[in-house]
Amino acid sequence: MGFVDYVQAIIDGLLFGTTYSLIGIGFTLVFGVMHKINMSYAAASLAGAYCGLIGPQMLGLPPWSVFPLSIVAAGVIGYVIYLTCFRFIPLASPLATLMSTVGMLLLVDEIVVHATAGMPQNYPAIYDGDPIELGPFILRADLVGVFLICVVAMAVLLALLYRTRLGMATRAVAQQPVAAQLCGMRLQAVNGLTFVVAGLLGGVAGAMIGASVGMLSPLIAGTITVKGLIVTVIGGLGSIPGAIVAGLLVGAAENLFQAVRNVTERDIYVMLLLFAFLVLRPGGLFAAARGRD
Amino acid sequence: MLEVRGLVKHFGGVRAVDGIDFAIRPGEVFGLIGPNGSGKSTTVNLVCGLYAPTQGQILFQGQDIARVATHKRLSLGLARTFQNIRLFTNLTVWENLWMAENAPAHRAEAGFLKRWVGGRGNARERISQALEFSGLAHRADDLAGSLAFGEQRRLELARALAARPRLLLLDEPAAGMNAEEIAQLDERIRMLQQQGYTILLIEHHMELVMAVTDRICVLNFGRKIAEGTPAQVQADPAVRDAYLGTGA
Amino acid sequence: MDFYYSLAQIIGFHALLGLSAYVVLLTGQVSLAQAGFFAIGAYVAAMFTVLAGWHLVPAMLAAGLAAAAMACIVGFPALRVRGLMLVIATLAFGEAVRLFFFNFDYQVAKGEVKVGPLGGEGFRQIRWFPEHGWTGLDVMLFVWTVVALVAGALWWLDRSRFGAVLRAVGEDELAAQSVGLNLTAVKVTAMTIGGFIAGLGGAIYAHYTTHIEHSNFGVLLATFAIAYPILGGLRNVLGTIVAVIFVQGFLVEGLRFLGDWRNLLFGALIVLAMNLRPNGLIDAATARRLARLFGREARRA
Ligand SMILES: Nc1ncnc2c1ncn2[C@@H]1O[C@H](COP(=O)(O)OP(=O)(O)OP(=O)(O)O)[C@@H](O)[C@H]1O
Ligand SMILES: [Mg+2]
Repeated sequence: MGFVDYVQAIIDGLLFGTTYSLIGIGFTLVFGVMHKINMSYAAASLAGAYCGLIGPQMLGLPPWSVFPLSIVAAGVIGYVIYLTCFRFIPLASPLATLMSTVGMLLLVDEIVVHATAGMPQNYPAIYDGDPIELGPFILRADLVGVFLICVVAMAVLLALLYRTRLGMATRAVAQQPVAAQLCGMRLQAVNGLTFVVAGLLGGVAGAMIGASVGMLSPLIAGTITVKGLIVTVIGGLGSIPGAIVAGLLVGAAENLFQAVRNVTERDIYVMLLLFAFLVLRPGGLFAAARGRD
Repeated sequence: MLEVRGLVKHFGGVRAVDGIDFAIRPGEVFGLIGPNGSGKSTTVNLVCGLYAPTQGQILFQGQDIARVATHKRLSLGLARTFQNIRLFTNLTVWENLWMAENAPAHRAEAGFLKRWVGGRGNARERISQALEFSGLAHRADDLAGSLAFGEQRRLELARALAARPRLLLLDEPAAGMNAEEIAQLDERIRMLQQQGYTILLIEHHMELVMAVTDRICVLNFGRKIAEGTPAQVQADPAVRDAYLGTGA
Repeated sequence: MDFYYSLAQIIGFHALLGLSAYVVLLTGQVSLAQAGFFAIGAYVAAMFTVLAGWHLVPAMLAAGLAAAAMACIVGFPALRVRGLMLVIATLAFGEAVRLFFFNFDYQVAKGEVKVGPLGGEGFRQIRWFPEHGWTGLDVMLFVWTVVALVAGALWWLDRSRFGAVLRAVGEDELAAQSVGLNLTAVKVTAMTIGGFIAGLGGAIYAHYTTHIEHSNFGVLLATFAIAYPILGGLRNVLGTIVAVIFVQGFLVEGLRFLGDWRNLLFGALIVLAMNLRPNGLIDAATARRLARLFGREARRA
């Protein structure tokens, strides 16, 4: 293993890291608006990607239909999770929402295992052209596709948040829920929509993970949940730019660890990276300003 | 007893406390008043260590306590009540007082193990005294959260007393109380002074402040604008301006 | 009959797991690291009995102490963060422990065979009970003696000042500091006690199944650990034990005829339970009603 290989590993990791960024953004969005963590988010995103497979496998649609279907399905699942795990549970019981979303995580996982009989499912690649050569480095075409699609998804999200009324409402609710309500914003509606938007993003992430790994298996959900949460913490709970940067960082770091050590040890070092951040920068890269208590 | 020198606390751009000095003498009741947002609670929080000062010194019995951990300040002899009542609502009244048994006096009375994992026996007498004093004896086994508002205020005071402090910091103990309860509070503060406590009293209720305090320090926008006996302060034009100017 | 002995053993070590999370939850900390401490206990105890030939009881104590030491070490940095950050940090810690054992080889030749943990293969042949001729009944009695000791100790702790201190810290950290409680000391102590109990549970688990591997100690187990006290409510240790009996005895074993669907039901039930009873199955109001029913503590009502 030489220097070139390590740089190559980092490049691949950065490209794939965008999917972590998306998952991290999803966790962070919901946290920003409701100050709760939706533990089932990553599993639900992957479940959306599984739903996309219904198109080609059962309805005879062309393979590319997987992607839009995944995204829409994940958005719907997001709303269902809002209804079942947040809508009717009092805000003052943080343990209850935590627990209900963990329950949902188990439920979603089990449904997937049931539906697929636990077998890994092949997932179409986003694009299978020739790899692009950049001097000594190679860019895998499908990963570049994943990267581009994730970047577009982030750009759309940011535009939505900062250029539309819905985005303004979301940010207002995140900062001052009471005042926002007094200004006539419907808290429930904004919360629900946030879950849908986060779900759609998750759908993109789930589909892109499937596309770049080449398959989906129930084993992935646990890993992605933990990685997504780590990205959220490293980026700073509630910070979208933080999640983006942290996603790339985690993606690159894990691929580098894998190149230096091996695939089974890789994730241990990712955890250590998290602990290093918790000790040195507990607020994350872009800590949101702490409010008054 | 307590001396504050050039104390400053900024929250981002907000200058909550902007360079104040005062000294409380042993045995006196010292009033700290000022319009809303003038930095009174922030001062208490600085003294108790909930915030670190941006600048300045806090001397307690001649010792600079800036570096003393928050929880250790109680054992130095500083106990407080909160403006927005902070009781342990799911513990009983009795247990709330039990929590405050961390002062050196308690340590001398019961060894480490007895204090932490021992039963209620050895604390019973002390706590029932504090309860009697605050008129809460009949509610000892009720959850603190189930008390009426006035009772909760009294429990806050009792909890601070259970710590056997030298200096009591009372942050608006009369807020939300009715006339009768305020009269009782007046009486209690005088009794505590007789028993030898030194008291820092923050209050908006002027009648009470003027009646029980020996000296008063007036804050406005984080700065001291007057200090003196109640009569002197009342006569001070700067104080009138501050209060009338903010419409209070 | 053996089926019931075995079920009682399962309930026993899950009760220890739940109690370990209960102590930590009292201080308001949600720890998903309990499965990690449980894993440490399982591996350490098994290594002592299998590789070093120790008696089970000292091996269990060693396992408890090892897990407690780890919990104490983790406690300091982890408790600098609170709330959801802590949930995530402890989740990651649990995963790190699991991955450590996934990569952990330490095999020793014993006769013709090699024994000891072997990475992804796990640790087989933890046969202390059968080797010493213990019957299912013996094991069950042993397990429940441990559970009774631990639960009894916690019951007593709950009634001591320390128990109230844990709850006070859990309720309002600021007020707790102001009455002179050292938050770090209290939280780390709770974490350490929790680690010890989880270690004991893991030790029993290893000897119950005779074969442990990293995948036994994943997020699912961590979830179980906090689910018990949350479902049972934080009023007292009995709530947690009742929740364990309900989940393991009724949901897992009682509904075995549902086959695979049972797992689906488990997640769905948690979601449902949290919607209907956000403060646990036995919340404060229920507890008071029960107390009145039995005529005790009527004055509290
Ligand atoms: N944690 C904080 N973060 C930011 N600003 C703060 C914080 N605490 C206090 N402030 C600001 O500092 C100023 C002084 O507040 P403080 O609570 O000390 O006033 P006060 O004199 O106690 O008023 P009141 O009579 O209303 O209790 C206010 O402008 C307040 O908004
Ligand atoms: Mg105030």
